[in-house]
Amino acid sequence: MNKPYMGKILMVDLSNGTMTEEAITDSVYEQYLSGMGLGAYILFNRMPAGADPLGPDNILGFCSGLLTGTGSYFSGRWTLVGKSPLTGGWGDANCGGTFSPAIKRCGYDAIFFKGISSNPVYLYVKNGKATLQDATALWGQDAVETEEALKKQYGQKAAVAVIGPAGEKVSLISGVCTDKGRIAARSGLGAVMGVKKLKAVVLDGVQRIGAHDPAAMKKLSRHCAKWTNFPMPLSLLPGTMMALMGTFLRVTPVIFAQDGLLYKTILKKWGTGGMNQMSVEMGDSPLKNWNGSNVDFPLKKSRKIDPDIVKKAEIVKYHCYSCPLGCGGICATKGKYSHTHKPEYESVLALGGLCMNEDLDSIFYLNEFLNRAGMDTISAGATAAFAIECYEKGILTKKDTDGLELKWGNTGAIIALIEKMVKREGIGDLLADGSKVAAAKIGRGAEECTVHAGGQEPAMHDGRGDPGFNVHYSVEPTPGRHTIGAHLYYEMFQLWKRVKGLPKPTPLFMKGSKYKINKEKAQASAACSKFMSLGNGAGMCMFGLFLGSKRIPTFDWLNAATGWKFTPEEYMTIGERIQTMKQAFNVKHGIEPKNNFISSRAQGKIPQKEGANKGRFVDVEKLASGYWEQFGWDKNTGKPKDETLRKLGIK
Amino acid sequence: MSYTITEKCNGCGACMRVCPAGAISGEKKKPHKIEVNLCIECGACGRVCPQGGILDAEGVSCAMIKRSEWLKPEITLETCLACGICIDACPVGCLAMSEQPRDKGVDAYPYLKDAKTCIGCGFCSVECPADAIVMQKPVKTQNVTDAKESA
Ligand code: SF4
Ligand code: SF4
Repeated sequence: MNKPYMGKILMVDLSNGTMTEEAITDSVYEQYLSGMGLGAYILFNRMPAGADPLGPDNILGFCSGLLTGTGSYFSGRWTLVGKSPLTGGWGDANCGGTFSPAIKRCGYDAIFFKGISSNPVYLYVKNGKATLQDATALWGQDAVETEEALKKQYGQKAAVAVIGPAGEKVSLISGVCTDKGRIAARSGLGAVMGVKKLKAVVLDGVQRIGAHDPAAMKKLSRHCAKWTNFPMPLSLLPGTMMALMGTFLRVTPVIFAQDGLLYKTILKKWGTGGMNQMSVEMGDSPLKNWNGSNVDFPLKKSRKIDPDIVKKAEIVKYHCYSCPLGCGGICATKGKYSHTHKPEYESVLALGGLCMNEDLDSIFYLNEFLNRAGMDTISAGATAAFAIECYEKGILTKKDTDGLELKWGNTGAIIALIEKMVKREGIGDLLADGSKVAAAKIGRGAEECTVHAGGQEPAMHDGRGDPGFNVHYSVEPTPGRHTIGAHLYYEMFQLWKRVKGLPKPTPLFMKGSKYKINKEKAQASAACSKFMSLGNGAGMCMFGLFLGSKRIPTFDWLNAATGWKFTPEEYMTIGERIQTMKQAFNVKHGIEPKNNFISSRAQGKIPQKEGANKGRFVDVEKLASGYWEQFGWDKNTGKPKDETLRKLGIK
Repeated sequence: MSYTITEKCNGCGACMRVCPAGAISGEKKKPHKIEVNLCIECGACGRVCPQGGILDAEGVSCAMIKRSEWLKPEITLETCLACGICIDACPVGCLAMSEQPRDKGVDAYPYLKDAKTCIGCGFCSVECPADAIVMQKPVKTQNVTDAKESA
């Protein structure tokens, strides 16, 4: 009871219905924590090289976090892991809501599935007993309907993770949904669940989660809450001021290193949508399939997604488990669905600016529609933008699009297209596996219109505006991800305040200096990756971590929860180990790290002629090399060196 | 680290019905047993056993208490951060987040939605990092509106 982890995993073989409970030794937690670290450990060791992501050898894992349920805040995130059918390599997706503690309350740190079931099933765990149940009646229902049906049967206390029709139809850009609209969307792992014929995981446990020193946990949490609620005058400003701040950041040649207190204030007031307009103005949002800029989407267009307007629909704020901040919201909407989760910044921009769509109602609708379908809003929006560009260039014609007039900003056509993608109908079938797969099928130069990293569409943060994004899109074992590192993130994590040897950013600097390539940049990027790998092992929310390492006591919580006496540097080594293991997983499965670099358009190989990122080029190849060196991976190939693996104890 | 049942048990099954963890088994009129790995030490069985036949994790005999007198959570919304930890901590699911925001502010708030199923274990109070919950003897039968008013 005084350990923060349950010390057990459940391995379900869907091919024959066997379930094996396995004890995990303490030393595994000491090296990999739980969560994504434990997931990486199991998948690396157990999945045969070259396993077909859509075959029986792929292992799909639902992993909780080491700190989840221990009395810490911001520690309710869970990680879905598996081999990604979208990228062919390491896949993970992170999600909040209430599912993370539910895994532990069933007595497990993680639940894994291998094999393929012959008919639709779901897993039900109650009172220490796990059973597979027939899911034929649920197959075909959307994520919200399925969750409601299962909760009606098993009670509201049960936590439910499900796939929607997109996952059932093995769309390579589908995810896994919980809490009626929180979705572990990236890496296409919904397709893995779909192909395994696993409709849902229903968890209804009551086991207690321990901590070595509960009093210390509480004390640390109070400290964190103080900073979460630290009053900032910014919170009184209207949404339009955010937009103007973005404009200022675009025109000023000198910028300041950012403090996460600013961002937490935005999150608390508006959620991620607080950035809707600001990001467009400052060159953070990609527009018009990464060919446009703020000039194409000026304030008079973006004001339709003004955070204050989005917020008007909000009935009440939504907090993930153990979150004192609450960036989410439950909204009332017009039309088909009465309630919906407030659309996140990523969804608003992917379904909005990226497709030049200015219609906010359609964004609300598509967000809910995609959550229910279990399809990733980022990849869906990006794939639609790709299709529009193909159409505008004549690569796709009306004949190919089933008559849809796929023009920039044609809201009706965008809605129809995405509905078709979920149904895999006509052109939708072609696009349901993301832009890279579609481009390969279309040919005729369509590849030129894609923007992806290793097959995955990057998120709505332009690496030409913050080169750090381009680094992480390109070098992460899960390419295309925005929730790991950036120039900005490094500033906010404030790791140098706790971890020895890390560079401290200058408080005021010339914007152009972000593009200089040097050792400090490489150190900063590597630190972000290590820290987020650690965070994902602990189940931490990145937004919480933005508060800064002295205000959110991650390292101290870990020590108080476990009774270990690790230094911050030793914790960073755990992060390094997890990151290296994921990279080793990729190498084992034949991934060539270089092939994961983000498309040249997003690097600015042909620099933009106008807008916030005018003239910017980010030399990803050079940056990647510096990053790899920091990890002891070969600086030319990105493959972990033998001595590095040995040093970290990876066999 | 589990509750145990002594030979005083006459197999009435009251404990089995109240246990939220499904930890107790036994046939009617035969001695019952608690499964060590499942017991979460909520104490509900001890509070219902008419025979005084249940020992807590320390081996101390539990006294039966009238259900109407079981402690109930009282939540101080001024200090509550709406983190939802209490709701997850509750083994019977009697706490819930409101669907509407607080009077002043935008956050939802936790409340005792189903006072009848509350077993008075106090896990919500123990787990709340803000110490916003105290376990109180109910003055009268509490219900949803009471929980709101007391805030
Ligand atoms: S203490 Fe609670 S969990 Fe344990 S046997 Fe009694 S009622 Fe069940
Ligand atoms: S655990 Fe405490 S702070 Fe969190 S919602 Fe419950 S009462 Fe509020």
